[in-house]
Amino acid sequence: MIGVGLSRWTLAYFAVALAFFVVAQTLMVLGFGFPGFALQAPETLVLVHLVAVGWLTLLICGALFQFVPVLVGAPLRQAWVPLPALGLLTTGLLLLVSGFLQLGGYVIWSMPMLAIGALLLLGGFCLVALSVLATFLQTMPPALPARYVILALLALSGTVGLGVVFAFGLSGLDEEGLFAPFIGAAVPMHAALGIGGWLTLTAIGVTHRLLPMFMLAPDKPSLPGKIGWWAALVAILAILAAVVFAGVYPDLIALALLLALGAGLVLLVFYGLDIRRYYRLRRRKILETNSRMAALALFCLFVAAVMLAISLGMGARSASIAASVYLAVFGWLSGLGLSQAYKIVPFMTWLECYGPVMGRMPTPRVQDLVIEKQALPWFLLYFAGVGAGTVSLLAGTPLMVRLCAALVLTGSLGIIHQIYRARLLKDVPETLHPAAIKPPRLFVSTLPAT
Amino acid sequence: MSSEPFELDVRPVLRDGGEPFELIMQAIGKLAPGQAFRLLATFRPDPLFAVLGARGYAHAARELADGDWEIMFTPTNADAKPAARPEAVSTLDDADWPAPLEEMDVRDLPPPEPMVQILGRIEAMRPGTVLAARLDREPMFLFPELAKRGHGWQGAFTVSDDIYELRILVDGLRR
Repeated sequence: MIGVGLSRWTLAYFAVALAFFVVAQTLMVLGFGFPGFALQAPETLVLVHLVAVGWLTLLICGALFQFVPVLVGAPLRQAWVPLPALGLLTTGLLLLVSGFLQLGGYVIWSMPMLAIGALLLLGGFCLVALSVLATFLQTMPPALPARYVILALLALSGTVGLGVVFAFGLSGLDEEGLFAPFIGAAVPMHAALGIGGWLTLTAIGVTHRLLPMFMLAPDKPSLPGKIGWWAALVAILAILAAVVFAGVYPDLIALALLLALGAGLVLLVFYGLDIRRYYRLRRRKILETNSRMAALALFCLFVAAVMLAISLGMGARSASIAASVYLAVFGWLSGLGLSQAYKIVPFMTWLECYGPVMGRMPTPRVQDLVIEKQALPWFLLYFAGVGAGTVSLLAGTPLMVRLCAALVLTGSLGIIHQIYRARLLKDVPETLHPAAIKPPRLFVSTLPAT
Repeated sequence: MSSEPFELDVRPVLRDGGEPFELIMQAIGKLAPGQAFRLLATFRPDPLFAVLGARGYAHAARELADGDWEIMFTPTNADAKPAARPEAVSTLDDADWPAPLEEMDVRDLPPPEPMVQILGRIEAMRPGTVLAARLDREPMFLFPELAKRGHGWQGAFTVSDDIYELRILVDGLRR
């Protein structure tokens, strides 16, 4: 094992991701998208993609470029990928969003922006997948967290493939009407593959390593983790089958999705068992804010899954679907993302600044880069806002939804401010701060990978 | 013993203020199996004894009349392998290192504290000595730092798979 260096562009991904998150939430506060507009209205699609691609996907990609080498114990392969991929994904998303605005009549411009945006996103995702898979291939067979990420990439390919189909269809480039059967029918599959597959499975894979690492819990491969992986595989294959059925046997779509939902719930039960084991067997008795907030995010995941199953069983009203998806995206994925960014950024910053001198002079601990007491209220405000927002969506009170969105936005801005302070070493006490250490650059890690 | 000892005189390099370690390791890399190695230096290079000891060479040092030193390194068995590349020091099987001088258990420390403790401890240790550390995971970020600081290491999970045993040869790669 030759070990791992710092990923140069991870923090740039995080920064762009957080910016998209703030923009999306501001739009929600302004009443853009559901529930003021329909669930499949262009305005809602703008919001959904800003959050799912701009915020969550960029956050996850940035994290993967640092995390995957640690998982494998070898440097990132195709190390040139992160920067051009960031460019492609960001430009692609901006064009895609412009395309949705075009559909909504906000932009009068005849270029097929949806299609161009989708192709750029496709290019960016291919680069990310190339680099991540090539890195994984260095150790066979891959560890359990890696296998979840590989499955997530399979789901991503389905999501993006469908996205490209939709984009071409909606841009009027599909003159033969080949894609027509998919455009309405495959939207649930696109969403399920994206949120339930790509985003949730990478989050599951990453938590299988990060949570035990920071809580000092045993993280050897467990039986529940393995069963969960097979259930996840069944779920993803079932959704992909539903996509195929949309073209040939539309009657079978519901059956395939039911199977996917069942397999997804099995995955969550076994994932829950593993998570419970990590928290119970941890040797670090006092939990840090990141682990406590991750627990809240995990709680949101399980509540959202139960809500989704119930609402599908009761005839799938827009409001209850939206409420469960909102809880999954803001409570689970975003809550987890913020809580882990709050740990990863100080950790990377610490390595960058103090790594070269550690052991040679007294250095602060990683915990000294943050003031948890200051961050906690923002996290609590964030999660309280998400909980209240979920209830408001269920109750169908648009004004309350916007009010809650404002609370969530305020909480997010508070957390982002704390992360910013940690990055620039603003909270390190003077007495612990060696004079030789300069604060690092905000968006780029400068310690070269070895 | 297949051939004449290979001879390397690093005294000119040392007198110019240079660092001969790289030269010495290159020379070791070129030795034929079983071939001995005669080194001439301006001082008794104790750190080198441990490094080459780890590669299966015994040493005999002799002070010359002018205060310089002659050291004869001989392979401890005729099958001694030619020296491996530095990275290969990080595998467990092929090393015959000195017994650990110090031991530490950092399993209950949150990352990155194990790294800090380990690096802090070896800063205070003499070159050529070995630190044994027990961790609960493979310290991925520690390895580049060890390499940068010139320490050799070897590590593996125990059979039960829950403890990572790491041994570090201080200055084993030499900066």
